[in-house]
Amino acid sequence: MHIPDGFLNVATVATTCAVSAGGVGGAVRMVGKKLGEKQVPLMGILAAFIFAAQMLNFPVAGGTSGHVIGAALAAILLGPWAAVLIMSCVLIAQSLIFQDGGLLALGANIFNMGIVASFSAYYIYKLVTWLAGANRRGTLIGGFLAAWFSVFLASTCCAIELALSGSSPFGVVLPAMAGVHALIGIGEGLITGVVLSLVLATRADLLQLQRT
Amino acid sequence: MKHSFLDQYSEGNSLIHRLDPRTKLITTLFFILVVVLTPVSRWQAFALYFILVATLIIISRVPPLYVLKRSLLIIPFVVLIAVFIPFFKEGEVAGSYNIWLWQVTVTHSGIQVFLNILAKSWLSILSLILLTAATRFSSLLRGMEQLRLPRVMVMILSFMYRYIFVLVDEVMRMKQARDSRNLGGGHLRQIRTVGNMIGTLFIRSYERGERVYAAMMARGFDGQTRTLENPSFVQRDFLFALALGLVLVLAIVLNLWYL
Repeated sequence: MHIPDGFLNVATVATTCAVSAGGVGGAVRMVGKKLGEKQVPLMGILAAFIFAAQMLNFPVAGGTSGHVIGAALAAILLGPWAAVLIMSCVLIAQSLIFQDGGLLALGANIFNMGIVASFSAYYIYKLVTWLAGANRRGTLIGGFLAAWFSVFLASTCCAIELALSGSSPFGVVLPAMAGVHALIGIGEGLITGVVLSLVLATRADLLQLQRT
Repeated sequence: MKHSFLDQYSEGNSLIHRLDPRTKLITTLFFILVVVLTPVSRWQAFALYFILVATLIIISRVPPLYVLKRSLLIIPFVVLIAVFIPFFKEGEVAGSYNIWLWQVTVTHSGIQVFLNILAKSWLSILSLILLTAATRFSSLLRGMEQLRLPRVMVMILSFMYRYIFVLVDEVMRMKQARDSRNLGGGHLRQIRTVGNMIGTLFIRSYERGERVYAAMMARGFDGQTRTLENPSFVQRDFLFALALGLVLVLAIVLNLWYL
């Protein structure tokens, strides 16, 4: 889902960069207020964690494999603003060090996989745990749905940006991207559920992080 | 630790290495912007950009083969996103095929747009590889900080850079352990295994983060980082930026002229 340079037109690049800059600026302020700048080493290591977790592939269908984005996990464990900040840093490092995702397309990639994925995951998780209760079952179902929606919505945004830039017609790129990622999302959802249940079993206190 | 490809060539001593990281960041951004703005079917312009970036790579003394190999690793992902384009652009039909149940038509303009996007992506990737191959990551971060990227982000990135390799090694060890235990079973079981690995990795990373933070506090960390590195924008940077800028502006003018 990392958009390279060359796919987006100038209007899309400018819009997504402006929105992402605003979102990341907000995240910097909110995280500074909530966690304090002294928690920065922890966030740096968790950004490296997301990066490393993206290296673990899981089978999707028909011999292909996918990897987690990790935005949902970060949003559930650390809150949406910290997740935006961590995902932005992961995407910047991926673009600069591994050329995975373009430099001008960074705004779009941060918008899709950082802002949209983190916030959709966070609020869906909140909604489900509110409906199903903040017990183990609610946490797992919430984690699954949050992760699935975060992947699905991020890929939809990605498709819309590509279509608006005239890179691909809307009627093709939207079903293709959303369809593939609806499948990958199931993997991301299941993995997020397993991770949450492991965290619940071993360090349940970490799930309370964003409330303190 | 076998991740030496990063910063492998960044200790060189060429003109490109000696430039202020801000100069390199801004000129790279400008270069990519100009490449992306170039209209379809301007092959002369793309050739010019290629000569430009190739010259810079040669000046930097980063082995061209290394840059080429790194760029070719990314191209499959670019093709994956662009693969629909030749089939769904409207225009003069170049060929029509029957693949199984689908009637597939390829148009000339579709192929043109496809190649055009591929060329733009590749040129951008080449310039990004040059940027990061000829600049130490710490200098790059210092440059981004001077360009007003929020300090929290610069610090997160610098910690990330320090710990990526520790955690990637950890992942590799876990993968090896998993594979040597002959991971089989259906998709669900494999996904559960990967989930448990990521969960374990999360808890280990988190606890490592806490330890690092405690160790830093014990040594008087106050939320500031201090470095001896203080790149300055000198005449050399000005001349380089001016020269590159002029070539790119000339390219824009020529593009508009012959539109």
